[in-house]
Amino acid sequence: MVFLREGLCPGLSEEMIEALRSKDIRTVEDLVSSDTEELAQTCSMSYKALVAVRRVLLAQHTAFPVSGADLYDELLSSTAILSTGNASLDKLLDTGLYTGELTELAGCPGSGKTQVCFGVAANLSCELKQRVLFIDTSGGLSATRLLQMIKAKTSSMEEQMEALQRIQVAQAFDVFSLLECLHNLRSGGFQQVSAGGGVLKAVIVDSVTAVLSHILGGKQSEGMSLMIQVAGELRTIAKDLNVAVLVTNHVTKDGNGILKAGLGLSWSHVPRTRILLKRVEKPSPACCSLRTATLVKSSRQPCHLTQEIDLKSWGETEDELPGPSGKRKLMDEDPREA
Amino acid sequence: MSHGHSRAAESGSQVRNPLKRKLLARLEGKRSLENIEPRIFPEDGGPVKGDVVELHGGEGTGKTEALYHLVARCILPEASGGLEVEVVFVDTDYHLDALRLVSVLERRLPAGADQTVKASLARLYVIHCSSAVQLLLTLHYLEGLFCSRPSLSALILDSVSAFYWVDRANGGDSLALQESNLRKCTKILERLLRDFGIVVFATTHAIMRNYASKVDDNDSSSSHRRWSSAHTDLSKAYLCRAWQGVVTHRVYFSKGDAAEGGRQVFSVMSSCSRTKTTRRCSFHVTDGGVHFL
Amino acid sequence: MIKNGCAVRLQVAITNNILANFSWLWELVEVTLARMHRALSSFSFAPAVKARLIRAGFHSTADLFKLRPLQVSKEAGISQEEAEDVLQAVHSEPNYGKTAKSRLTALELLEREQTLGTIVTFCSNLDCMLGGGVPVGKTSEICGAPGVGKTQLCIQLAVDVQIPVCFGGLGGQVVYIDTEGSFLVQRAVDMAKAAVEHCSLLAEDTEQQEALKEFTVETILSKVFLFCCHDYMELLAEIYLLPNFLAQHPEVRLVVIDSIASPFRRDFEDLSHRTRLLSSLAQRLIKMATQQSVAVVLTNQMTTKVWNGQSKLVPALGESWGHAVTQRIILHWEEQQRLASLCKSPTYREATVPYQITGQGFRDVAPTCLPTTSADPSAFPSGSSHKRPRMEEDCCS
Repeated sequence: MVFLREGLCPGLSEEMIEALRSKDIRTVEDLVSSDTEELAQTCSMSYKALVAVRRVLLAQHTAFPVSGADLYDELLSSTAILSTGNASLDKLLDTGLYTGELTELAGCPGSGKTQVCFGVAANLSCELKQRVLFIDTSGGLSATRLLQMIKAKTSSMEEQMEALQRIQVAQAFDVFSLLECLHNLRSGGFQQVSAGGGVLKAVIVDSVTAVLSHILGGKQSEGMSLMIQVAGELRTIAKDLNVAVLVTNHVTKDGNGILKAGLGLSWSHVPRTRILLKRVEKPSPACCSLRTATLVKSSRQPCHLTQEIDLKSWGETEDELPGPSGKRKLMDEDPREA
Repeated sequence: MSHGHSRAAESGSQVRNPLKRKLLARLEGKRSLENIEPRIFPEDGGPVKGDVVELHGGEGTGKTEALYHLVARCILPEASGGLEVEVVFVDTDYHLDALRLVSVLERRLPAGADQTVKASLARLYVIHCSSAVQLLLTLHYLEGLFCSRPSLSALILDSVSAFYWVDRANGGDSLALQESNLRKCTKILERLLRDFGIVVFATTHAIMRNYASKVDDNDSSSSHRRWSSAHTDLSKAYLCRAWQGVVTHRVYFSKGDAAEGGRQVFSVMSSCSRTKTTRRCSFHVTDGGVHFL
Repeated sequence: MIKNGCAVRLQVAITNNILANFSWLWELVEVTLARMHRALSSFSFAPAVKARLIRAGFHSTADLFKLRPLQVSKEAGISQEEAEDVLQAVHSEPNYGKTAKSRLTALELLEREQTLGTIVTFCSNLDCMLGGGVPVGKTSEICGAPGVGKTQLCIQLAVDVQIPVCFGGLGGQVVYIDTEGSFLVQRAVDMAKAAVEHCSLLAEDTEQQEALKEFTVETILSKVFLFCCHDYMELLAEIYLLPNFLAQHPEVRLVVIDSIASPFRRDFEDLSHRTRLLSSLAQRLIKMATQQSVAVVLTNQMTTKVWNGQSKLVPALGESWGHAVTQRIILHWEEQQRLASLCKSPTYREATVPYQITGQGFRDVAPTCLPTTSADPSAFPSGSSHKRPRMEEDCCS
């Protein structure tokens, strides 16, 4: 319901509003659905002026149809596929992250979601030389780790600095800050030229559950509404700005003990592609960086494809350990396996 | 008559006189969509003019693929097995993937039929809506579009439940306010259905579980019991009564048990309130779209 | 950002030829660009206020354009104060002003991380594993069974954060929130004495000698702000008020919560409610850590999980809590040796190192004692709770 107010549209004067109100026309919807001829006669207003106001109001508030052919042409010319930097993950995603779409990574704590996000950001800024926006909601962003990954790709100091400058970071620890950040992104707040060049090609949100999980549940529906608004903003950003959106999510166990992505049924429709990450069972000490990625939802590939991913492929962490530390036989009683 | 017609066309959606509208509709003779997909809809229960088909299902149950199948069937030329009618696609959650639609079309046409693909796509009108108010006013605008293009026979709303939670939170404590947007949309849809003889296909996401369903299985047939106990029942109807009242066909999608040749099989159960019949079928998804089993 | 839809609208307006005024055209452009205005439902007003505003027809910030609080209050049926708050929130965000300071590049973030530094633990193996020590600006969790040394580590960190800058420390103060009553002043005194001794041995130049004068056991103890909380409501209230306290005491560099598990494991029937509270708490803590540059250290207990017929020790408070902290260290026993494992870290690889707890505090294991350590000769001389070294068989199943 949008009430008719002076200044809502040029040509809508106070007297016109009063006249309309006397005929019980209070909202834009009422005006649009009433018979303009009849209204002009009974309110003794200019028919042309009324039609003009009606047209402008409709123009302000409706969306316009696009022909399927134009839509297809636009999509064909603007869609890009971004490689993630890891060949197995690319295979799973059908060559990479598609712009204009939302991809979701779900997994238990310690399953490597944040590391994959780092890898994607490093690859995009270093290899593809494009800009990335990394929205951190849980404090898990470590610029030191990003630098390690970038160092593994290029040894030139200058290029490393440039690559780091192409990764923009925003921190939003509650849902309203996140909505504000996304809205600013959509309004063009991040478009200013930065050293290092490149165009914004990906937005990574790690993780979307940290700000949403505690407002869901209970009897109030405001949490669900905010979640749907976040989903709407992310999808609009993906389409309007032509970027690939990557979000991370937690997992829960359903009635049969099968892992599924968190945030419930209403969120499950939101991403176009969903990948579940898991630690490899019974790893030997040398393979603690292996993960299995399963494609759970995709519009392009058959589901339940699985690939093994080595987190080391994005860049080895520097060996910080002191010399002899023979106490590595803890793998059997892995307390992290939650 | 002609003066009224041009006046109507000029001012967009000003056609208030029902007689004028009926005449226009009859002039072009809208193509019937009753045989749009006999494998999904019950016998003699296909969607005719003025019907509303609700496609309901959980995430990943094949609704979008089925929608592409129906769209392809509508826009392809008669020579290639289509109905050659125009379709308006109202997209509320940015779900339409034109690239996928084109690959579905290409598989159904002989190789190198680019012009046909383009001509088919020209019969599709896509509108993106990002809020309930915008959807409402867009439906008003569509009256003019339907009037000026008589070959538009179908309106697809994907999905009509996109603003459910936002409306619910914005309506505060009053149920009437929460449902008011959808009720108004339903009223306009009823008018469109009545005046222009179109068919509406609307998808609704399954966002609520039906916990009470397991108890009612005693008197259904054994196959139905097997059906609902094997899958989590996500068929709970949560949209307002006005919407439930206008729906004439309900098509429920779910993931099947068997996987044929490694591909996930999807099951469809459709019911028609007019003929009180139901029909079940299953399909899996290939590169060329839906493939019925 | 103006898509083809707007161009169509402009075309419609021009071809209609309604008004010849140019100013009208600019107003139309402005109002159309108002599409970029935010929906009111995405602001953090109270749900009742939001519902009233929407019922009155205000859907986006464009609808509140040029209105005064009195008008809004009358039309929407909200109080004048609420109307003023609403208008203030709406007007203070002309597109990208406010969030400019929360936006950085990764390069700036790297510089910030390096400036903030870390807090050493005096166990060089552990410091190496953590990349220098416990990071400031992040939340770290220390999990372990009773008696393994969590509180010892916390007290050690509380002393170490105060080491003067010229010795390589942070020279900061500590907020210690104690929920179990396990903070022992005598233990802190022992550790402080050892730290002071260690620094006085290292002092070379005059700056360091000067700094040593300020670094005594008394000053160390005086810079520890101790809060005691008995149940989860008190803990939540304390954490809600903590940002104000930190704003008044900008020297604080460490916040310890020992432990976060015990108030939440007692009498909590509704587990989903507990998960939501913990998740919301975690967000507050990370926000505090980032915006006020403190290191947040939490201790957690262990619980037994039965899975596939086997039982394992896992950190308490549920699986979703595992997502909440940035870094997780698990302290455990293997035969007689205490070990610290880094389980979750954004920067460093998973690893395990041995450590020991001496009279002076948290220390490295001396190389000769590596294979098995029976009774520590210097174990717990004064005042500590004599927790006997346990044989945690179920830990190493």
